[in-house]
Amino acid sequence: MHHAIISCLHANLPAVEAVLNDIDKQGIDTITCLGDLVGYGPQPNEVVELIRKRGIATCQGCWDEDIIDGLNACECSYPSQLAERRGHLAHQWTDDQLTDENKCFLASLPTSLRRDRLLFVHGSPNSQHEYLLPDMDAFAALERVETAGADILFCGHTHQPYVRELRDGSIRVRLQSAEHGNDQGEELTLPMRKIVNAGSVGEPRHGSTNATYVIHNDATDEVEIKEVAYDVARTCQAIIEAGLPKVFAWRLSHGFEFAEQAEDASHVCER
Amino acid sequence: MSQTWLISGSPGCGKTSWILKTMQGHQGKCGYLRLDGYASKGLEQVSDSGIDKAFLKDQFPQLIDLSDSHHASRSQQGDLLTLIELPQFQAPQHAGLTDMDPRVKNQLETLQLHPDRHLHFGRDPELPNKDTLEFKKLESFSLSLNTSVWDPPSLNTFWFELVNGAYGDVYRAKGLMNLPDGRSIFFNWIVSQESSQFLPLQEISDPNGRPRSLSELVVQGKHLDCLRIQSTIDLCLLNDAVLEMHQMPLRDRQKEALPST
Repeated sequence: MHHAIISCLHANLPAVEAVLNDIDKQGIDTITCLGDLVGYGPQPNEVVELIRKRGIATCQGCWDEDIIDGLNACECSYPSQLAERRGHLAHQWTDDQLTDENKCFLASLPTSLRRDRLLFVHGSPNSQHEYLLPDMDAFAALERVETAGADILFCGHTHQPYVRELRDGSIRVRLQSAEHGNDQGEELTLPMRKIVNAGSVGEPRHGSTNATYVIHNDATDEVEIKEVAYDVARTCQAIIEAGLPKVFAWRLSHGFEFAEQAEDASHVCER
Repeated sequence: MSQTWLISGSPGCGKTSWILKTMQGHQGKCGYLRLDGYASKGLEQVSDSGIDKAFLKDQFPQLIDLSDSHHASRSQQGDLLTLIELPQFQAPQHAGLTDMDPRVKNQLETLQLHPDRHLHFGRDPELPNKDTLEFKKLESFSLSLNTSVWDPPSLNTFWFELVNGAYGDVYRAKGLMNLPDGRSIFFNWIVSQESSQFLPLQEISDPNGRPRSLSELVVQGKHLDCLRIQSTIDLCLLNDAVLEMHQMPLRDRQKEALPST
């Protein structure tokens, strides 16, 4: 059975509508959303309401968490003062716009979803704020999947879609005992694990303005990264009309993120 | 024997870079002066911001500043090569100074400077012409940033957005930007170049409070959103407390590096 995974919608209604339309056309009715329904974009209520109306299983993203728990959830993840100040501005705007009902919905979201051997998270199993970048250290990547007890880990947060296969993994433990004066070792060989990043629907960062999502085949474990064009100009116009910074519209129309993103894959929120 | 050359051209054509190269290749002393250029129909000039002189002085410390008449009179002595920079959009029709703007002539006379050679970018083959652009309309914006210090990653983002059109169609941008570690970087970009030039100045201030060196941004282009440029810059500059947070560990490291007596 095919199912679709979407992530990082960022209050971009035209992009969400286009992606859901693309999924519907393929007759796929199981959709999982990896969070960040809101943040930066101009239609936070509309996007949350669409996800609720469609009954899409969703886990909580870092933006969803910050809107509920307050901006200080993870100030350390901003890569620059400019990004931080723009982030604060977008946070305040989103906080003002979101209805209490939609905030309650975001607050109710789980940090992860599990279906058998598939685990769905926003950032990593450790935190909604941790980036699993495609080139992160293989051991660290394998550790994230293995300790979460998953065969395939679906994540988002980086806005760059990718599929990473972790083959030939092994963990060797060696214990030196002073009492017995000899080494005791054990080696654990792991089967292949996979990290699948769904990219971003509402704030793509893969070199084009197209929204991305992924389709996974349960039977074969094949993963397809899909790109969907949407009406970027409509979102940009909505950004300006909403009174959000014009530079958000400019960045989105050029395939850049609203505010530049932290590149530190090892970053873990210490809150 | 002393020589005085007048070097003119449109914004970003490479006047300052060519002057630096020429000075570095000259055996004797070198003098420098930048004259004010004048606007013409739809083409705005930037008043002398001092960026070019500060950059040249840093890269060529023995440079003689001829911006006052006392020093200018020295241009007639010895083997001094005097290079006078003039922002000028249109090429004069004739060689020499005959059809030079009378206001430019007045500036030269006041300083008792008598160029014996005039080279114009785009006209004279001695000068490179790959960045010589013909502008039909040009707005100019300059902002003094003296004593301001940038958050370095914010500066990267701002510059990227600026030269890629987030605040209007920018054709030319340059600036001297202060960083918290005491470095000052010369940012230089023209639309004909694929990438920006980032040149750290040789002189580094102590990481102890706000720097005293000149800092300024100059932007030229069309439909410039000057208010948004300024408001974005405001978001990128460090306040005193954050600047101190950057500088304190640098000072501590400097102290540790000092040999004990």
